Order: sequence, then C-alpha cells, then structure tokens
Amino acid sequence: MFLEQLINGLTTGSIYAMVALGYTLVFGVLGIINMAHGEIFMFGAFMGVVITTTFGLPLWLAFLVAAIVTGIMGYLLELLALRPLRKSSESSHLAPLISTIGVSIFLENAADQYFGSGNHPVESGWLDTSFTIGSVTIYTVQLVIFFIAIALMIGLSYWLLKTKGGKALRATAEDLDTASLLGVNTKRMITATVVLASVIGGIAGILVGMAFSSVNPQMGLAIGLKGLAIIILGGMGSVKGAVVGGMILGLSETVIVAIGLSGYRDAIAFVMIIIILLLRPQGLFGKKTA
Amino acid sequence: MLGEFINPYYLQVASFILINIILALSIYITLASGQLSLGSAGFMAIGAYTTALLTTNFEVSIIVGIIAGTLLAGILGIIIGIPSLRLTGVFLAIATLGFGEIVRVVLINTEEITRGAIGISGIPQLGKEILTFFEGFGFDPNNLGLTPNQFVFSAIFLVLLIIDILLIWFFLRQKNSRVGRAYSAINMDEDAAATMGINVTYYKVLSFTQGAILAGFAGALYAHVLSYISPADFSYHKAVEILVFSVFGGSEVVVGAIFGASFLTLLPEILRSISDYRFMIYGVLLVVMMAYRPQGIIDERMLRWVKKRFKGGKKDGTKREEN
Repeated sequence: MFLEQLINGLTTGSIYAMVALGYTLVFGVLGIINMAHGEIFMFGAFMGVVITTTFGLPLWLAFLVAAIVTGIMGYLLELLALRPLRKSSESSHLAPLISTIGVSIFLENAADQYFGSGNHPVESGWLDTSFTIGSVTIYTVQLVIFFIAIALMIGLSYWLLKTKGGKALRATAEDLDTASLLGVNTKRMITATVVLASVIGGIAGILVGMAFSSVNPQMGLAIGLKGLAIIILGGMGSVKGAVVGGMILGLSETVIVAIGLSGYRDAIAFVMIIIILLLRPQGLFGKKTA
Repeated sequence: MLGEFINPYYLQVASFILINIILALSIYITLASGQLSLGSAGFMAIGAYTTALLTTNFEVSIIVGIIAGTLLAGILGIIIGIPSLRLTGVFLAIATLGFGEIVRVVLINTEEITRGAIGISGIPQLGKEILTFFEGFGFDPNNLGLTPNQFVFSAIFLVLLIIDILLIWFFLRQKNSRVGRAYSAINMDEDAAATMGINVTYYKVLSFTQGAILAGFAGALYAHVLSYISPADFSYHKAVEILVFSVFGGSEVVVGAIFGASFLTLLPEILRSISDYRFMIYGVLLVVMMAYRPQGIIDERMLRWVKKRFKGGKKDGTKREEN
C-alpha cells in the first residue's frame, strides 16, 4: 500500500517536474513567466489523443508529432507574443505576463472548439498492463513515464552543463548583454529556450495523458498552475528546484488523496505557494535578489 | 406610454455592463499602483457567496448582505495584500491567482454550506425586493405604465447606474488627490516614491484593498441581479475577462475601464455569432494590445486631446499633437 502510493507520488511528481522545467528555463533566460506554457503542454497531450486514438498510429509517433507541433508553437509564441514586447522599450514588466495570458486563453478555447470539451482518452497500447511484485502492483505505464521523465531531466542537465549550447544558454540567463558582447547569439538562444521548453512541455503532455488516460482542454490551466506553484517552491529559474519541487508536490498530493481529502488535491499547490512566499520568498533553491 | 420604450433585455445587458464597469475599476485601481491582481474573481466570489448565504439562510436584508460581502472581501484583501507586498509584480499575480483557485476549490468542496458545484439559487433579486418595498406603500407599477417585470429591470438598472456614477466620481476625484498621486508615483518608481516620503507599504495595501472591495461589491451585486451563482461563475476565465476589460479599454484612466467593460460586454450581444469565439478574441486582443498599445485604447494623451478639442477648442484644435 505504502509502496504503491510512493510510486504514484513519484510518477505524478516526475511529470510535474517536467512541466516546471519548462517554466524555469524560460524564466531563467527571459525573466518572465510564460503563462501559455500549460496550454502548449495541453496541445502536446492532444497530439497524443489524435495520433493514438483518432488515427490508431503507434505511440512513439505521437511523441514525435507532439514534440514537433509544440516546438513550432513555442517558436510562434516567441515570435508573436514575446519578441514584439522586447522591441518596445516603454512596455512594463507586466506586459509579457498579460501577453502570454492572452495566448493561453486563446489556445484553451481553440482546443475547446476544435478537439471538443470533455475527456479524451490516450491509447497506450501494450503499456496498459500491470505486474505484481510481492504485494505491490506496478503499472507498466507508470514505469515508462518515470523513466522518460528521468532520462529527459538527465539529458537536459547534461546539455546545460557540458555542451557549448548549454553554456551559451546559461550565459544568456546570467546576463543577456554581456553574453551578447561575448559573441553569443542571444536572439537565437532566446528562441531556442522557448522552443526547448515547449517541446519538454509537449512530451510531458503525452505522459500526463498516458498517466491519467484522459485529456481535456482545461488540463493546461490545472497543470500549468501547479507548474507555477512548483517553480515558486523550488526557486525561480532553478532546474534543481523544479525537479525537487515537482517531487514534493506529487508526493504531497498523493498523501492528501490517501487520507481521503481528494477534493482538496488541487488546492495544495496554492497553499504551498502562499506559505513559501511568506517564509522564503526566493524558494528552496532560489537566489536572493536585492 | 413609458412602458413601450422599456425592454427588459436591453436593461439586463445594461445592468451587466454596469457591474462589469465596477469589476474593471477594481483592476484599474490595483494597476494604478503597479500591481497586477488575478484574484478579482476570487474576491468577487467572496462577496457573492457571503451575501447569498446570509440572505438565503438567515433572512438578512439585501443591503446588509451586500455590505457584509463587500467588507469581508476587503478584509481578505488586506490579509492577502500585506504578505503579497513582499512580492514583485509577477509573484503577486501568481499568488492572487492561487488565492482565486483556493476560493473556488473550497466553494466546490464545502457542499453542506455552499451546495458545491451546483451553486446557490433563489437568492433574493434586487429588483423584486425593491418592488415589494414600494408595494408596501400601496405603489403599483401600472401607475407608471409599466408591467411589474419592466419595473423590476428598470429598478436594478437605476440602482446600479447611481452606484456606478458615485464610484466613478469617487475614483476620478481620488486620481488627483494625495492618494492618487501616491499611487502613480509608486507605479512609476517605487524606490523614488519611497525617497520622496511616500509610505509605499501603506499605499500599496490600500490600492490592493480598494480593488478587493470593488470586486467583492460587484460580486455581491451580481448575486442579487442574477439570483443564481455557482463556483463556475468565478473561475480563472472570469479573472482574465475582467483583466481584458481594463487592459483593452485603457488601464491608466478611469474612462478606460468604463469603455472596455461597456464595449466588450456589448460586443458578444450585438454579434451573436462571435460569442462562441469570445475568449479566443480576448486572447488575441491581449497579445495585440501588449505589443502595440500596452496602455489600452484610451490613454491620458487621448483624453488631453479630447479635452483640448472640446473645452478650449476654438482654433487650437488644428494644432493637435501627432500620435
């Protein structure tokens, strides 16, 4: 029982961590909150529905299509909603927030119009099996989700810490102007960051579709808000914070459901935000700003 | 007679516009000091549910219910506002968004009190109460040539209109007062404002609380105009809708809130075919406004120009500023 709950918590947590990674990457480089990230994630999940359920094609293709579609969406988001704001000097710091809220509300209602409201299933095929070790039942799909999430996070950390591209991205995050002076193509780095964050979000979308085997247009908001809660908990712009925060949220939600308060599951994230903002506004792993 | 000119449907749309103007003002007043609150739907829910529960369960009069709802929203505004001051713009927006979601989740889950997702129906309707009140004095709407229904809707409209005029007058006066100037100083540069001796903490909480009070008040009125409320009325979508009213109309000026709320409430009523795409249009509007006109359609410059044109406008109307 306890072990099963732990596995549930870790699976949910690893998905939350992936969603939070998207927010934290964009915040780290651009210093803004991308409120449309949750909806890009939701589109990724819908690609899973369209490919597996509507067309009956294999799951790996769904991942590929979701990555491409959400990548393009990330590019368009940067081009249409973020870049114009950087050009005009007079716009306030709230402008990107409001602009991405606009994109999010547009995407959510577009999905509602074209995919239809209500729940859509994701067919995970042969993964939809379970096996038992001792008294613990493990669903194959949970293992797959967990390993994909971990692999992505390790891959991302490797890329960020060991490669030239990752170094350029970190330099851009540290100081845009200095990085630009030192020969980093910051414009391209910014676009790359938003696209990368969106692709990670899109893949997380399919994983959520597989985990809960249901996808709906409102899920972007629900999961997106949790992602925001996690980066506040973990510290804005911190990759480690996103991962640890995601796990904490996933586990605490499982605990709340296990003790029979499942109705309040969605409120934990926000109670957590308010507490952390009062006690440690910079988050667990965040740097204190002046 | 008078009755032929009064169409309950138009009056109802007009009443919604008036309520939405109050909501847009609540965003205007928090933005005036440079704070973005996405909790307006949450405060609205507090106002609406407080008065709905008081009037349906305890036979409290509407006025007392509305005042209680408004006050409770204001108190919560202070409670949320003070800790949120430690947060810069982006964090405040997320914290208030979180507040709104917590309110909604609690409303759905406390079924024994709020009837959960089903919502509360049979809330005393403002217009009907006014009618019964006047009927107590032997008044009959037919004397005015009105059906009771027409009287009910006209009464709501007139009450809301008076409330709106008073509020708009108040905020126009406040803008040029000590408080209003403190807000704009904080909005432009918090540190500079503090150096000039402005109590930044006090004024930021004041502005945030004013916004919460307005949203709570509008929510309470909403409950008594519709006589039915449910948690779905106060979702994140509502918060975004309220934000669009202000951002589209012009977030720097009181007139902007009035224009934004009126125009965007009327639009889906006039163009029925677009009402399905309303939120998609709102989304595009937000993106386009931020890129090309972040201050909204109506800004101070435009108002100055209009004033010059119509007040002192003899010949100098021609040498207007180029926008």
